Amino acid sequence: MPRHNSTHSVFCITPPHMLREIILNGSAEQRELAVRSITVSEQIRGQRGAMTKDILSILKPAVAGEKQRIVYDAKNGSQLPGTPARNEGDPATGDTAVDEAYDGSGVTFDLYSDIYSRNSIDNNGMRLDSTVHYQKGYDNAFWNGQQMVYGDGDEDLPEAQRLFNRFTAALDVIGHELTHGVTQFEAGLVYWDQSGALNESMSDVFGSLVKQYQRQETADQANWIIGEGLFTSNVNGVGIRSMKAPGTAYDDPVLGKDPQPGHMDDYVKTIEDNGGVHINSGIPNHAFYVTSIELGGNAWEKAGKIWYKTLTEKLTQRATFQEAADLTYQAAGELYGTGSLEQIAVRKGWSEVGISIGGDAPTGCLPGILSVFGIKSK
Amino acid sequence: MTKISFERTGGFMGRKVSATIDLDDLPDEQAELLGDLLDEADFFELPDDLTKPAIPDAFTYNITVFNDDKQHSVRVSDATAPDDLRPLLDELSKQARMQR
Repeated sequence: MPRHNSTHSVFCITPPHMLREIILNGSAEQRELAVRSITVSEQIRGQRGAMTKDILSILKPAVAGEKQRIVYDAKNGSQLPGTPARNEGDPATGDTAVDEAYDGSGVTFDLYSDIYSRNSIDNNGMRLDSTVHYQKGYDNAFWNGQQMVYGDGDEDLPEAQRLFNRFTAALDVIGHELTHGVTQFEAGLVYWDQSGALNESMSDVFGSLVKQYQRQETADQANWIIGEGLFTSNVNGVGIRSMKAPGTAYDDPVLGKDPQPGHMDDYVKTIEDNGGVHINSGIPNHAFYVTSIELGGNAWEKAGKIWYKTLTEKLTQRATFQEAADLTYQAAGELYGTGSLEQIAVRKGWSEVGISIGGDAPTGCLPGILSVFGIKSK
Repeated sequence: MTKISFERTGGFMGRKVSATIDLDDLPDEQAELLGDLLDEADFFELPDDLTKPAIPDAFTYNITVFNDDKQHSVRVSDATAPDDLRPLLDELSKQARMQR
């Protein structure tokens, strides 16, 4: 019989599901005790150690390319993370939101891993934690610095008044939230004004790429809608934002019109929404769209790689749109060569939204013609 | 008399919803509920700005209560709202969502 001290025996009478809870949610110390306890009690009972294996799979740090997910259920409360509902490798639960959060974070992990060789949110195998059924009537999703959180929409209102479905319904929303985590570990874009709008835009860009990657759509096949499926049939709209045509995603008697600009001329100055981070993100969003269309093929391949390199190697915390434009241009040059088609596409993308690379690129017809003859019009 | 002015901004959509509620105009039961929720939150003792750090896509809630001779404003986010304030936020959010 294995030797065990009194601390162990306390845990020996603790039911396995509670030990599992402790391991998932407890402090490092509690965790260690619980693991030892399970090992010991299994040895005592002469079992094969199925529980130990299960527990070890939860604790084991991720190795490259191996994802680790836990989806929690807040049961309509606001305590995070809530109760574990599905762990890595568990079969589908039948709870739609739980399964969508599980699958969606998995596809997002795959895009980052397969295409950008990134090992999870922190590039170090971080576990992907999501909580669903957050609060009642919570028509939103967010990244709290450690995990993704999703509400069920307007489920608490009478059907005729409901505008929003559950927020896990759109895969790009899941990619969007997880990307906030990536940005936090990389450029650390401050969530205010232009750097905040860039933070938002990066989340829309990679959120959209996750959806396109899953559907294997080329840039011109994709609809570039963010949050498709979030509105109920009561709303006149196709989604929350359009990267293809910012400002056109919805136009509804109750919700009003999509306020996103697609050009610097229409930049919105506001102090609400952290300086309009969800509004002005339309500008860099559209620059990415134009670049992707210019390049053709799968947006995650070239445009995505340029933006990923910019996010992870170049952008600084308080970057402006102008800096983002210049740095994507620089990244394209490093990846594909100075004067490459890719660099030209990036220049075109930003110029369509009113931002010139380096701030002095020739735009329009006449300067273009002049530049052919080596004459600079500025 | 007690008046509540409520705004919810930010969120994934970045869209504002708001509600202005005069407790005198409400049915007794509802006015009592809101009064209780204000007490439960210890509203007039809360710090006025609890919005830091900024949390991506979280809502920011701006609540001002006018009560006879005093007035107090509180700004919180989903990540920073004190537990005792939660029920009030939920109730006001619901009112605002129904009026939008």
